[in-house]
This record gives sequence, C-alpha cells and structure tokens, in this order.
Amino acid sequence: MPGPLCKPWEHQLSRRHWLGTVGAGAVGALGCGGLLPPVLADEVNQSKRQVLFVWIDGGMSQLESWDPKPNTQFGGPFRAIDTSVPGIQVSELLPRTAQQMHHLAIIRSLCTQDNSHSAGVGRIQRGDPKNRGVTYPYFGSAVAKLMGPGASKLPPYVWIKPGSGGFKHQDAGFLGPRYGALAFGDGQPPENLVRPASLSADRARDRSLLRQRANERYLQGRPSSVTEANSYVFDVAQTLMDRKELFDESAFSRKDVERYGSHEFGRHMLLGRKMLEAGVRFVKVNSYGWDTHGDNFNGHASLMPKFDQAFAAIIEDLAASGMLEQVLVIAMSEFGRTPRINGHIGRDHWPEAWSLAMAGCNVRRGVVVGETNPQGTWVESEEYDIGHMFHTWFKALGIDPHHTEYDNGGQPLPIAHDDCGVIEELLS
Amino acid sequence: MSLAPDCFRAAGRMSFRKQVRVSSALLLMPLAGLLAGSTAAAAPPLHQRIDELVAAQAGGALGVASDDAEFLRRVYLDFAGRIPSAAEARAFLADSSADKRAHLIDRLADSPEYVRHMSEFLHVMLMERLGDDQSWQTFLQTSLAENKPWDQFVREILYPEVEDEALRGAAFFITKRLEKYGQNPVDMPGLVRDVGRMFLGVDVQCAECHDHLFVDDYKQQTYQGLFAFLGHTFIRRDVKFPAVGENLLTQKVAFKSVFVMEDLATGPKLLDGEEVEIPMLPKGEEYLVAPDKKKRSPGVPKFSPLRVLSEQLPRRGNRAFEKNIVNRLWWKLMGRGLVEPLDLHHSDNPPTHPQLMALLVDEFGNHAFDMKWLLRELARTQTYQRSSRQSVSAGDADQDGPVSAQSYRRGLERPLSAEQLLASVWQATGPGTAAAASNTDPQAAPEEGSTAATLDELRDKFTAALSNPPREPEISINPTVKAALFLMNDAAVLQLLTPRDGNLIARLVEIEAGEPAAHELYLSILSRPPTEDELAEVAGYLADHPEQRPEACADLAWALLASTEFCVNH
Repeated sequence: MPGPLCKPWEHQLSRRHWLGTVGAGAVGALGCGGLLPPVLADEVNQSKRQVLFVWIDGGMSQLESWDPKPNTQFGGPFRAIDTSVPGIQVSELLPRTAQQMHHLAIIRSLCTQDNSHSAGVGRIQRGDPKNRGVTYPYFGSAVAKLMGPGASKLPPYVWIKPGSGGFKHQDAGFLGPRYGALAFGDGQPPENLVRPASLSADRARDRSLLRQRANERYLQGRPSSVTEANSYVFDVAQTLMDRKELFDESAFSRKDVERYGSHEFGRHMLLGRKMLEAGVRFVKVNSYGWDTHGDNFNGHASLMPKFDQAFAAIIEDLAASGMLEQVLVIAMSEFGRTPRINGHIGRDHWPEAWSLAMAGCNVRRGVVVGETNPQGTWVESEEYDIGHMFHTWFKALGIDPHHTEYDNGGQPLPIAHDDCGVIEELLS
Repeated sequence: MSLAPDCFRAAGRMSFRKQVRVSSALLLMPLAGLLAGSTAAAAPPLHQRIDELVAAQAGGALGVASDDAEFLRRVYLDFAGRIPSAAEARAFLADSSADKRAHLIDRLADSPEYVRHMSEFLHVMLMERLGDDQSWQTFLQTSLAENKPWDQFVREILYPEVEDEALRGAAFFITKRLEKYGQNPVDMPGLVRDVGRMFLGVDVQCAECHDHLFVDDYKQQTYQGLFAFLGHTFIRRDVKFPAVGENLLTQKVAFKSVFVMEDLATGPKLLDGEEVEIPMLPKGEEYLVAPDKKKRSPGVPKFSPLRVLSEQLPRRGNRAFEKNIVNRLWWKLMGRGLVEPLDLHHSDNPPTHPQLMALLVDEFGNHAFDMKWLLRELARTQTYQRSSRQSVSAGDADQDGPVSAQSYRRGLERPLSAEQLLASVWQATGPGTAAAASNTDPQAAPEEGSTAATLDELRDKFTAALSNPPREPEISINPTVKAALFLMNDAAVLQLLTPRDGNLIARLVEIEAGEPAAHELYLSILSRPPTEDELAEVAGYLADHPEQRPEACADLAWALLASTEFCVNH
C-alpha cells in the first residue's frame, strides 16, 4: 500500500491492485491467505473468464449419463443414443444434452481417491491436494481468490442451492472466510438485501453519498487500505441491491422457464445464467439427492431429465450468446456409481472409474477423453485424478497451475496437486 | 527456576495456590532488583522505557501525538469497550488540566465497564465464537472484577475448580472443545492446539503427525507432550455445570512420525520442560475418590496431569507463557503484535523489538501478572497515544516510502469487535445527553414501553452480522458484504435512528439546525467536534430538507455510523 501522502494516481493504482487481488470483504494488506506474484494477479484480472460449476451432489451414475454400456453385465436398462457429434453416444436419459454435444467435452477416465460423501464432497471440490496440514479452498473460493470479482462488483463466488443460504465461509479453507461463498438458499437473496419501505431511494442515495464523503475526509493523511476495503463491501452490497431483480422469478421470461424447466433445478440454473450475465465470476448451481443406493434406475429416470433439460438449455444459451467463449462449464459429482447393481437395484459409490462433462473457454468441443473397459468397471486409458482436473481448469481460465502458488502466511502452497498436470487433450 | 515441579506434585490444590503467592512474593522482589540493576529506585516508569525502545527502532521521524478527541475515543474503546458520550467528550475536551489523560486512563480502568469490556475481550479471544455459557461469564466477570492475576486465571482454566460457583465456569474453555459436532469424533487435537495457542503462543497443530515442516521449534514431541496432559480428559455428565473429568493416565503416549517410522513415546511434557513421570500406582489405588457408577461420578485420580499442567504452565519463568500474554495485551492496545501471528512464537520468528519484549515480560512478572497494570502502562506511552494520521509536517513519508506498521511511528487502525461496535452504536444513538452523563452503562435497559429492539436482541443481531465464524481469530479489520447489508437495511438498526425519548435524533430535531446540531451529531457519534467542511455539510443538508428534519438527521447520523471513522478504532 502506498504511504499516507499518496498522489491521486497512486491511489488509483492501489485501488485497482486491491480489487484485483481480493474477493468480497477483504482487506488486501491486512488479510491472511495472501496471493502471489501481483504481476500475475494483474494479468489474470484482465480476464473476463467465468465459471459455471454444476454440482450434482450424491453421485450421478456415469452409466446412466456420460458413459453408457448398454447390453453389458452392468449396463442397466437404458440405451445409448447418438449425439450431435458422430461417433459419440450418451445415455438416452440425456436426449437434449446429446444435441449440445458439439459444445461439450466428456472425460470418462476419472479415478479418484474417496468413496464417502462426507469426506469426498470436500475432497473433490478442494482438488484433493497433497496433505500439508491445511484445509484447501473449494474451487469457487480458489477462483475468487485468484481472479477476483471482476468489473461487475458482484461477489466473486455465489452458490445457488436448495435449502439454506448465507455466507458459507467453510469453503474458503485457509484463504480465510472472506473468500467463502455467498449462498442463495432456495435461490433466495441474502438477508437484508431489500431496502425497507421506510427509506426512499433518494434518501438511501443521499446516505451513501454522505458516507462516501465522510470516508474521503477520514482518508486525509491516512493509508487507504482500510477505507477502501470498507467502501468495497458497501459497493458490493449496493450492486447486489441494485440487481435484486436477478432474484425476481416473476420477471423470468416464460419461454426461458419452459426451456430450463419449472422445477427447482431448472429455476436455479436459469438464475445461474442471469448471475453469469450479470458478471459474477464463479457461479455454482447445486442439485441434491443423487445417492441412489436403492432403485437407481427409477431414481435416474426421474432425476436425469431435470438435469438434462436445464443443462442443455444453459449450454445452448451460452453458446448462442457467445458467452461460452468466456465461461468454463463443469458438471460433476463427488464420484460415480458402482457398475455392480446391488440387492436394492441400486448402485453404490464408485470413485474408480467415472465421468464428468465440461464446456467453454478453450475446452475442446465435441470430444471424449479417456475410456473405461467394456463393462465400465475400470479405466482402460490413463487415469486422471481430480488434481488433473484442477490443473486443466486453472489453465483453461488462464492461470498457470505450475507457477502459481498461494501464500499461506509464509507457507507457499501449490494451487493444485503437485504430482498432477494439465490434460492437454482437453484443451484446444 | 527454583520452583521445582516435584514439590507441588503431592500438594493439594488450595495449598498450592497459597504457596505460589508466598513464594512469588519472596522470589520476585530480589529478582526485580537484579533486573533493574543498582539504579532500581531511579528507573523511569515502564511507559517511558517503552517509548525509548520504540523510538530507538523507529527508523524515521515519529508521528504527532493524537489530539484529545482522538485519544479520548481510543481509550474509551480500549478500556470501556464503547465510545464516550457527547457529554463525556465535551467534559474531557474542555478540561485543561495537564494530567487529564492519565487520570482518564485510571478512571476507566477502575470502572465497571472495564470489567465488562475485558470479559468480552477475553471471551472472544479465548473462545473464538465457539459458544458461550453463563457460568463461564460468571468466571470471567468475577475474575476481571478482582483483577485476577493472569497466571491464576489460566491456572483456574487448566485445572478447574468444581466447588466454587464463581470459579467453576472456567471449565468451559476445555469442555466446549470436548463437545462432539455431529458424527465427528471429539476434536482432541483442537483442544491441544488451542491450549498451545492461547496460553503459550504456539500453534502446534501441524506437528501432530510429524515435526513441523517449516517451524524448526515445533517438534512432534512438542505436540505429543502437550497432548499427554490433555488427551485423557472428558466432559463430566454427572453435574449440570461445565466440568472436566480425567481418565487414568497410566502410560506414555505412543506416537510415530509419518515420515520416520520410529516408535516413540512421551509422558506429559511442556515445550522445553521436563517430561512428567507417570506414577505406577497399584491397581485399586489409583483414585483419590473412586468412580461410582450408581452416581455416575467419574472419580478423581490421584495423578492428575491437568493439575500438573496448571502448575507448570502458568508461572513465572515459563517464557512462552509470559511472552504470549504480554504480546496479546500489546496487540490489544497497539494494533500489532511484537510477534505475529500472535500464536506463532518460535526462534525463527523473533519479536520485532526483542528488548522491549524482554522488558515487558520482566515487568509484567514483577507486577504479579497484573493485566490492568500493564494495560494502564501501555496506554500511558506516547507510542499508544500517537495519532493514526501521518502529520504532513513530519514530511518523511515521501523519502522513506510507506511507514511500516511495526515502526509504531503512527497509530494503527484496529478492528472493533461486534461487542464494541454495538456498545458504541447504542451509546451514539442513545437515550440523551443528561441521561448518558449520569448513566454511562450501555447495558442499561431501554425505556419501558419502547418498541425498539432491546439490547439483547441487538446483541444477537450484531454478533451474527459482524463477528467472524467460529475458530477464526478476530485480529484484523474485516469488512463484509453481510455487515454492510446489515447496517444499510436491518430494521432494528434503522429503528435506532428514529426520534424517541430524547435519543440522538430526537435531540437533533429539537436543537438549532446550524452549528449546535452539527456539534451534537459529531460529538455523539465521532466523539469530536465537526470541521468547517462538516459544519457546512450538515447545515446544507438540513437546509435542503426543511420538511423532513427527523429523516434528514437520521441520514446524517447513519452516514457517520457507517463510515470507516466510526467502524474502526483509530
């Protein structure tokens, strides 16, 4: 931070630097969980890239989605269908998504380390790095830290989910609570978002101006970091309030609602698109209830169409608007499901061989990477762990995963597992 | 150290406490003489010696002293946990006596508000928002009210009393950390870590499974030795208050590094201390009071590692114990620790001011770990009383570049806790000048029949909106979007800015719109008179809204309450 007698241009620089290196509610100079080379941070900050992270909680079956094995021992009752890319087939439970296959990359050779939900959800979303005695950030917190909020002034990491909302600091790990997720529980806005009726818009604006003037006076002769941090959170709060129409479902176009689905996941995905359009850096959309230990096939027959509808719609929209050039899309669970069908006609947890789908940024379009054996039990090509995916995603976002480190109070920490690397064939 | 641990082992708890008092008194007087050398009688007071050491290392011109208003607000926040009332501010600013600052420090340090504020401070620091308990609050407040020495305070936490109702809440520090969360096992490493962090200034968490990778001092032995004192504790379920039970410790704790597959074992052992020998008691003779299954009473073992810990850890000569608390109290008033992070003392992370640290440790020990005495001395320093503004005339910022925080050439901006902020908002918006002058207790109940939120309701809201999540130390200024939305839109906050019963807005509506209103506004909220610019701004804004005087006053007040100047301690 510049000295207290800084010149106006230094002030500008400091503000830009600050905005570039911190997420919502941070004090760059005072914060814990620092970032590295500021030069890099500036470069990355020029980027308009965004992330849509579709989290399918509980474990989507790869056999009923991206890696069907019809007419095999464990294949289950569903067929495989052709997609918009000749030679690539997916489960018949993904008819709409199949028509978007030319935008997608499927990876079928995931082999990860954890088969429990309680540990696995966090382990996957934190990228399962080497244990260095610290809790790593979730991918959303990592992106918030490494890329900042961007020009929108909206919080860099929002999470649209069923159930409760609020500020989910746990996601941030050692980066500190400020890099946590702002969660819109049930798609609803955060507490205190709406200005009370007793306060007119004019008065609210007057108040804000008076506050800003008071801060300018306070700044005379003082370093700027604290006041800038304070001003920043009020700015973000105001931006959220100004954009509260984002949460107004009655304003969603009827056509959109029909295309995405009037069910919860469809509405949340549509809200996710609006958040991306508004400039939010990282949007996570959540679907729960995929842990189909019993009655897996009816379960997927009921869950998959909702996913298919909303996912295909947002891919189609992002592609049509050109946003897919900038938005990295990832759809995944914490693991796949066992090929073996258990006594309850269910499938259990299977991290050994599973799949996920990606799109956007410079992810290659219309490709499948990796393959499992004919019965779908094991990976036959090279196995990829979640660490490889983190490397690949960071690279797709323009962050060099090998040369970027976190600075955890003096402890340098790689942003992705040191033993993994980028899956180059996924990127163009 | 002549107080060998062995001589306490057979001693009962009460007699041990007496012994310590007697022996410290005997021991410390000659020690104090030794340290101060032959000029002991002539040695300048501690606050002067602190300033000399800080100045010697400042590396540039020292900034100007705070003006009276700046000092006034700061010392109220640090000793009473709230801003002064407008009346208190007026009285202090008008006072022309030379020693008024020292006098104010003393008055606040002896006020009931000091007890409340320090209880809150220690609660937030020690419990890190894990939870609260009435008996714990009783322990804190009783202890602060009698200005209990820090060593005794820690001793009572580490080996909690069961009989004395005023003391037994001390067990909450341990029992809260022994609670289970969901299906997770008891976080014993968390308890070991927190005892190390809070009382020794060392975070040994990373040394649970191997020697710390980048702190050479923190060995796996360090963690495991501390663990051996604590690992056998449990929450007593036979009583209704927080109470710690101990299972028998009959053998050393076995451990093995994940890097070096060598079987190791240790008994209870404190950092550099001697390993405590675990007595071999014949079967059937391990207990002072045998467990009773019918009464669900867990019994009292003859060998209590917690008692040994309470004897060995909080005492004169345990440098880690002494440095930790001195550093934390320094941090509280100066905004920066001599060692940072506060819980990462080790030889490769020395104090920024080693001589100063040594001086503070010695003098704090010489004064029997008297926290109030130390805080008072710190507040008397020029270092504490420096302005947080860089004086333009000092003119050295351009040459030297940014003034580093650790030079203390300028006062540092510090965070306000949710408690301090609430007490200050309550004070600023509150009942009325006359009432505030006579009743400075922000806990005073609001007027009957009021529809506004009670202080308790507000406290819950402020804590939820402004405090850190559990286990996140509240040590830096941490503005959040959540807090901003809370201050902007929460109904209970905005309600404080409606005219009622002689509160701030009611007064502002009544008095003349020009200078008098601006003075009342600024003295009530920012504890200082307005500048010319500010006078003009207030007058202009009120003149622009002649028909909406209460609303206009509320707008002006809200803007100051949400300003950085109000939300930090500067």
